[in-house]
Amino acid sequence: MNKADLPFLSAAALGELIRKREISPVEATSAYLERIDALDGKLHSYITVCRDEAMQAARAAERAIAHGEWRGPLHGVPYAVKDQFWTKGIRTTGGSRLLADFVPAEDATVVARLHAAGAILLGKLNMSEFATGNSVYHPFGTPHNPWDLERNAGTSSSGSGAATAACLCATSLGEDTGGSIRNPANNCGLVGLRPTWGLVSRYGMLGACWSMDIGGPIARTTEDCAVTLQAIAGYDPHDPYTENRPVPDYRAALTDGVKGLRLGIVKEAMEAEFVHPQVRAAVAQAVANLKGQGASVDEVSIPLMATAAAVTRAILAVESASLHRHWLRTRLHEYDHNVQIDFLTGAIMPAQLYYKAQKLRTLIRQQVFEGLRKVDVLALPSSSEPAPLLPQGAGLKSKDEARQRMSGRRSLTGVFNLANVPALSVPCGFVPVGGAELPVSLQLAGRPFDDGLLLRVAHAYEQSTAWHARRPSIT
Amino acid sequence: MADLSPAEVKSLGHAVGLELEEPLLTEVTYNLNALRELIDDVNPPELDQVEPLPIIPPHERSSHE
Repeated sequence: MNKADLPFLSAAALGELIRKREISPVEATSAYLERIDALDGKLHSYITVCRDEAMQAARAAERAIAHGEWRGPLHGVPYAVKDQFWTKGIRTTGGSRLLADFVPAEDATVVARLHAAGAILLGKLNMSEFATGNSVYHPFGTPHNPWDLERNAGTSSSGSGAATAACLCATSLGEDTGGSIRNPANNCGLVGLRPTWGLVSRYGMLGACWSMDIGGPIARTTEDCAVTLQAIAGYDPHDPYTENRPVPDYRAALTDGVKGLRLGIVKEAMEAEFVHPQVRAAVAQAVANLKGQGASVDEVSIPLMATAAAVTRAILAVESASLHRHWLRTRLHEYDHNVQIDFLTGAIMPAQLYYKAQKLRTLIRQQVFEGLRKVDVLALPSSSEPAPLLPQGAGLKSKDEARQRMSGRRSLTGVFNLANVPALSVPCGFVPVGGAELPVSLQLAGRPFDDGLLLRVAHAYEQSTAWHARRPSIT
Repeated sequence: MADLSPAEVKSLGHAVGLELEEPLLTEVTYNLNALRELIDDVNPPELDQVEPLPIIPPHERSSHE
């Protein structure tokens, strides 16, 4: 195989060729580094490229595999992580000037686990400042969407979306507070899984909103998502919120099909007037596809769905302001302008407003669980529209503009963050916009720890379509 | 619910040790008033029948099983 073609392989396929010693980790890593050199000047998907460390790790992987010490499907496979995860000896900025010189003394648990699995860290990926989603200024360069450079790669794991779609890494990690894994997956035509809260350790992950944050995979295929999740999932004594339960074999269960499964199409999401008609049609067609494979389909209602974005905003603002309370007093003007506004709003929010948001969260959670008592998996669009244009300028000119920003016109993800259940985005079509073809996605959500079931449903759909095989034509 | 004025928002900041000045004060006022309005508008009948659920960490849960 031509070296320049290696980055286009799936992580699972590349891992298999490495296992069979048909490709060396050194070849694969150097192919990715060359592609990063050639293309990332346009995308700004990386904040830090770990060239020397990656090549050193690749040589070590090559030696180990040659000695019969193969560690698993990610051994020798190059990956990258959102710059929200600590990396020992490598700066971890959180996408912020405030942490431009922060070099952690240890790895985040998920990074340590990927290292133990033999994966090769290519670098740290760009993101919205402190994963808040509203920031406009990116101190390390604005990430661009490889499907259309004028468009948003998705917040807040923007670099994870852009780099994975442009084949600048084989698989990646993002972090999802209000949709920050599924949003880049939607905008960039990828598979992104927000795992069950408590399945993946958050030790060494910079926080945005402790009650909703969770790290997870963003990859080009469902199988790649499964192998990446396999490497990072499971109990961690450093994170008291992880569950001590066996981690299933996600990859082995991918091919079990959907026959007999009950899908619930979320009425409020499908009927919302702001959902692009072609997004609605693509999702309806994807559900029909799964029905054709043997799933049954019912309608499910989450009456408070439209409220989720505002409730998320209220809780996120308060929790993030609490995390940043010291710097809000000492280094306020070093934050992005929009981040300043959001954090200050959280810092002064009246307690009764926050408490009401928490009560609404409880009701939303009850409604999601009620839906999941009737069906196995919920289905809806990941986003109401394809990737929007990059935001122009920061700041708020009126209360109405603030209201519009918070009302979640585009976001259909937050409801599952509030419920802390797993949710996944898988490409289900392309929509022509302004001369470009932009990906759109089906979102699936399930009961806590049914992450494997979501991967299985997504895999069944993916294998009967070719959306995941399309690549952006960036050169 | 009437909007808070910038002076009232400035007082809220002062109460928690933050001295909000223009131009941030006006934008924080817009933001807070928008959020108040959005949350205030939602009053499902079940609202008074629920309370926020504290998250019980797995290690504390298992110690009582």
